Amino acid sequence: MKTVVKSKISALLDEIAKEFNLLVPTAGDGASKFAPYTSGGQVSLDGRTLLPPKDVFFPQTEKMYKFSTDGMAGSLETLLEAPKHQMLFGVRPCDVKSIHELDHVFLTKGFVDEFYQSKRDRTFLVSIGCNGPAEPTCFCQSMGVNPQESDAVDVHLFDLGSEYGAVAKSENGEAFLQKYASFFNEAEVQLPAISEFALKPDVEGITEKLQQMFDHPLWEEVSRKCLGCGACTYLCPTCHCFDISGRVAGNQGFKFRCWDSCMFSEYTRMAGGHNPRPSKKERVRNRFLHKLQYFPERYGDLLCTGCGRCLSKCPVNMDITNIIKQIREVELA
Amino acid sequence: MITEKIRAAAKELLEKGEVETVIGWERGTFWYNSTPVFISKPEQADRLVFDDFCANNLAKYLLDYRNADGKIAVFVKGCDARAITRLIQDNQVKREKVYLIGIPCTGMKEAPKTVSSQDVAGLPLLAKCQSCATPNPVIYDILLGDPVPQKEVGNRFAGVEALEAKGADEKYEHWGKLFSECIRCYACRNVCPACNCRECAFDANGLNWLGKQNNLQENQMFNMTRAMHVAGRCIECGECERVCPMGLPLMDINRKIIKDLNELFGSYDAGLNLEDRPPLGQYKLDDPEKFM
Ligand code: SF4
Ligand code: SF4
Ligand code: SF4
Ligand code: SF4
Ligand code: SF4
Repeated sequence: MKTVVKSKISALLDEIAKEFNLLVPTAGDGASKFAPYTSGGQVSLDGRTLLPPKDVFFPQTEKMYKFSTDGMAGSLETLLEAPKHQMLFGVRPCDVKSIHELDHVFLTKGFVDEFYQSKRDRTFLVSIGCNGPAEPTCFCQSMGVNPQESDAVDVHLFDLGSEYGAVAKSENGEAFLQKYASFFNEAEVQLPAISEFALKPDVEGITEKLQQMFDHPLWEEVSRKCLGCGACTYLCPTCHCFDISGRVAGNQGFKFRCWDSCMFSEYTRMAGGHNPRPSKKERVRNRFLHKLQYFPERYGDLLCTGCGRCLSKCPVNMDITNIIKQIREVELA
Repeated sequence: MITEKIRAAAKELLEKGEVETVIGWERGTFWYNSTPVFISKPEQADRLVFDDFCANNLAKYLLDYRNADGKIAVFVKGCDARAITRLIQDNQVKREKVYLIGIPCTGMKEAPKTVSSQDVAGLPLLAKCQSCATPNPVIYDILLGDPVPQKEVGNRFAGVEALEAKGADEKYEHWGKLFSECIRCYACRNVCPACNCRECAFDANGLNWLGKQNNLQENQMFNMTRAMHVAGRCIECGECERVCPMGLPLMDINRKIIKDLNELFGSYDAGLNLEDRPPLGQYKLDDPEKFM
């Protein structure tokens, strides 16, 4: 396997930054997130970022169209950014999985979201594996993610302690490793054992079970402590709800989309005021059914990667692993 | 042990049918996560705990029980009790519909870095508890445990004074940088026991008081409005700042407003008793009119 010592990574990143618009995990002042690389700046390649990389493809606010009128004439323009060659470096396997799930939503079933696609297509992915839980709240392994290795990327880096082991996972990845070959050595490597995860929810059969639990009293019970904020969904790498609004001034205006959250009370409020999800019971139920039932039914994949962000930042510690446990414990008549 | 006492108290209230629900805390994901729990059967009372991690202010949940038939019992620390006083003053909660079980509080702790370290004594107090001026509940029906001594908290406006000393551009830059980080999750608003409007201005989409875009302009509008809307009613429980996933120093804004109110209308601490009305919730002939 090709290996690169960790002390050479900043020199490598300096080189990459000449070719790509490079985004790396940073932990400067404020929350850790993926941000543009600056030479000598804060790069934090240990652990996962608080903010997931989803905004790289699906920004929290994104202008989509602008329009104007002139008498009876009108014009409409789609605001697609010119593609830039960008690299997302240091994505953890859970977040790689989340990108795969966003791909389902924005690129499949006969509908392609051009705004998402334009950013997704031009992004070169480099993942870094975890040899155990990066945070106590991690539970990716139980959600079908191999924490040590990602395949749906261009290059994957194994964490070998003082060095990274690099494997190309696409043709672009091969070319990349060849181009930067001077940074790498060839070595026999032994992958470290994966250390034990504290959280191990069992999701076997959960979708089928939930199909029979829409009216179960569990939802009333578990939703009571929820505050109806957006912390869980906005930090979740897979949550992807958005709302389209517009602004008009004079004879011109624009349409934009921005993240929305099924946990907000007005999310399902309709014109006229009716709200089909009137209380937190329906909202909390929706969040978990979307992740564990509706999404798997539609795409064959759970809409949760086990990154643990929601339970670590929820103001009231709403814990999806505990909800999964409670669902399992329910005895259906 | 206080946990035994709270379990016994909850069990007794439920067995006698004096209350229909008890709101307290239970053990969450790890040993350092204690999380709100709602107990309605005596045999569930053993889920209750009281430890160094019961930071959640439970008062807000009383808004969910505005129309409950029976009484609701709720455990209150010092800060929680002030929140309840405020909710009663705002006619959100009826005093006779709640049963308050007071717990003197020595302060809640930060979560440790790892699950395995069990060194509770070595963990720092939460920021909100370091500056707490009311560790003993100011209102209760029964008090479990003995009142704890009030610690010396120093000048709680020191941070605000340091910010006031900055120039206008410097202030703008300071807050601009912070507010750009806000993800508009509204956790700060939703946890706040002073935020009790039936419909929040930020949710009134049709009226567009606040644009949905996440940008500095709208984020500033949100953060300043949130703080102004609790002016005079903020009980300094620090919950907003504690729950902000982005770690924004929201207490600096809240305390700036409290300091301004104190200077304009005389010293006032919200929620200390039921009698003193908040400065913006009453009218006096000699109120200053500096803004006119
Ligand atoms: S959830 Fe798994 S892959 Fe993600 S950071 Fe944690 S250990 Fe790594
Ligand atoms: S589960 Fe937690 S983070 Fe999510 S809406 Fe409820 S209180 Fe907020
Ligand atoms: S639901 Fe929670 S654990 Fe699952 S992917 Fe989203 S934030 Fe991560
Ligand atoms: S504004 Fe913050 S400190 Fe004040 S009452 Fe609300 S949550 Fe507590
Ligand atoms: S909790 Fe923090 S991030 Fe969320 S809306 Fe409030 S200030 Fe913004």
